[in-house]
Amino acid sequence: MKKTVLVLALATGSLFAHTALMSCFDNGDGTVTCEGGFSDGSSASGVKFRVEQNGKTVIEGKMSEYSDFTFEKPSGAYTAVFDAGEGHAVKITGSDITE
Amino acid sequence: MKKSTLLSAVAAVSMLATSAAAHFQMNYTPESALDKGKTIELRQVFTHPFADEHTMDMSGVEEFYVINKKRKKDLKDTLETITFKGNHNSGKGYKSTYKARRMGDHLMVLKPKPYYESNEDIYIQQITKTVVNVAGLPTDWDRELGLKAEIVPLTKPYSIWTGGSFTGVVKSNGKPVPFAEIEVEYLNRDVDLRNNAMGPSKVKAPHDSFVTMGIKANKDGEFTFAIPKAGWWGFCALGAGSDKEYKGKELSQDAVIWVQAKDMK
Repeated sequence: MKKTVLVLALATGSLFAHTALMSCFDNGDGTVTCEGGFSDGSSASGVKFRVEQNGKTVIEGKMSEYSDFTFEKPSGAYTAVFDAGEGHAVKITGSDITE
Repeated sequence: MKKSTLLSAVAAVSMLATSAAAHFQMNYTPESALDKGKTIELRQVFTHPFADEHTMDMSGVEEFYVINKKRKKDLKDTLETITFKGNHNSGKGYKSTYKARRMGDHLMVLKPKPYYESNEDIYIQQITKTVVNVAGLPTDWDRELGLKAEIVPLTKPYSIWTGGSFTGVVKSNGKPVPFAEIEVEYLNRDVDLRNNAMGPSKVKAPHDSFVTMGIKANKDGEFTFAIPKAGWWGFCALGAGSDKEYKGKELSQDAVIWVQAKDMK
């Protein structure tokens, strides 16, 4: 965990002075795109992203070079998690993700 | 410019003869700070936002586009002609919708065709910036576009507290315009999107000089204005643009930017 934090800090500068941000939308074709970023405008490229269902991780990956992640919309309730390190995770509930 | 605007106001509405209001190109949307992406409503109206004593007929649109994360998208085809009802008359304007879906800043630029102001026998063209943000990520709000007339903001136009301030730099083709003359007006009413109409005045000016506030940029083209009330505020740098003539007549090519302040509560 500590190693990851260090890597992230190096990658994005003074990361922890900023707020992690995420916004998601339904593409209308069975997929959902989530975009991440930080309040100072820095990129979220490479930052961990996952989709949880009933507390379990069902999809896992990293934000692309455009700071986004597109995944197939799971059936049933789910939560998108932008995980920028301890205390810096942003969660969005699937029901709040619209077209 | 100001003097002749006064004359036109006198001519148009004798009851409001003392109101020297300025022309302002609006590219109005109700909310500039969005929590998540959505399709937003826009109204393009050429009016006097504080006093609303005359709505001008827009002459058409040369350019209308948006920039999000450096990507430019043309929006000209989304414009639909409307008749917009001011409190004293109606004028030709436009309405459109835009899917502000992606996270970050959506920097819109509206460049109308020059408007012929017969009272002054000049043309007016106001190149207008409006910024809408999705989910708080700053991406394009401070982008300098090298426009012929442009106000480059140094303050995010969508995150200003009431009592805070707005700072911008007046530029023309990327170069600061020293001591630029700037008019400031409060959008003193709600916009009724369903009926394409202006609502009643919210506040009364204690003196004519408060209707259109004239300020000046410093030697570097920079200006700051403290925002006393929540809502939309328009800034217009008069004649800042490099085009000075249109169809053989004088052209005032102005730069407009709109900012929105929010109450602390």
